[in-house]
Amino acid sequence: MQRESSAGYITRAPRSSGLADVLEILLDRGLVIDAYVRVSLVGIELLTVDLRVVIASVDTYLRFAEAVNRLDLRQVDDSKSVPDLFEKGGEEVASTKTKGAVEGGMDAIKEKIGLGSGSDDDDDDDDGGNSRSRSRSRSSSR
Amino acid sequence: MSRLYLYGITRPRDLPERLTGQGISLIESEGRAAVVSELDEGPVEATRRNLLAHADVVEQLHEDAVVLPARFGYILDSEDEALELLALPEIEQLLERHKGTCELTLRGTYEESVLAEVGAALEPLREAYRAAPSVEAGIALGEAVGEGLADRRARDQTLVLDELRPLALEVLTSEPAGEFGAFNAALLVERGGVEAVEKQLEQLAGRMSPPLHFKLVGPLPPYSFVRLQMPAVA
Repeated sequence: MQRESSAGYITRAPRSSGLADVLEILLDRGLVIDAYVRVSLVGIELLTVDLRVVIASVDTYLRFAEAVNRLDLRQVDDSKSVPDLFEKGGEEVASTKTKGAVEGGMDAIKEKIGLGSGSDDDDDDDDGGNSRSRSRSRSSSR
Repeated sequence: MSRLYLYGITRPRDLPERLTGQGISLIESEGRAAVVSELDEGPVEATRRNLLAHADVVEQLHEDAVVLPARFGYILDSEDEALELLALPEIEQLLERHKGTCELTLRGTYEESVLAEVGAALEPLREAYRAAPSVEAGIALGEAVGEGLADRRARDQTLVLDELRPLALEVLTSEPAGEFGAFNAALLVERGGVEAVEKQLEQLAGRMSPPLHFKLVGPLPPYSFVRLQMPAVA
């Protein structure tokens, strides 16, 4: 259903293929007429909590700080920072080395905070039950 | 009489067997048709399965002709209520307006390396945190990273949408989800205009990736562009 573009940075899907694709458009948008609508729903709150991560929290700030601290800034491609200029000449060796360091660092962070590559989409939960228990544990940890 | 679950509104036509097999039918009136199925007792659960089933129905029907997708959970008490809905002049206007349109949803997400770019400008705070990694220093640094990320988001959203807006009939944005969400946009385009957006996006990705990743979904029914402004009747 999905394919990666040649550049690898565009994911293209012809139709909605996961919860993340449909959640907002089906719950917040779509045809609705106040005078006629009879909305009868359960589970909405739990689902939306799952997707709308609160950013402005101490927890998040500390994670950002930790990540920035561990990331080697030389890895940034278009960076014009001082370390980058000094690395010229030994570039190949340096970039190989820093790449490993950055990836290792991020993997460790991801593991620590439970941020896997699947956190954006929802291939893991097959029904409402799973996402509910996830939401619950997340909200109670705040 | 049983209640009806409303998937959307379309023009009268033959439904594919795949849909009639799921109990989905049309209630037709004067060139307009409500896509419904009979509803069991109890509320509609907003589970992953139910949401995707709703999307599947309207998206399949949209492949052939105009569909005004209903919001999830729209329930009609009777067939008469469906006929009342179909009789609204606004419905006919929307069906005409969206005759040849579709929606593309575009989400931008950063990979974690964006933090290195944002952090590159925060040397004093990083240095302070490295020297004494206290909670206070961490919050100060993290807050600055959060602000840098917010600036970056605003800048990237503007860059992307400035280039895509000329290709769209209408553009709607909403708050991105998650710490690494960059932007969320819905573009209303002509059905024939999808390719132009794809091409422009390839160019944007060439300039902005990494750290920006794009996800483009569609052509979808015009989920985000069917809102009616109707006074509530007491």
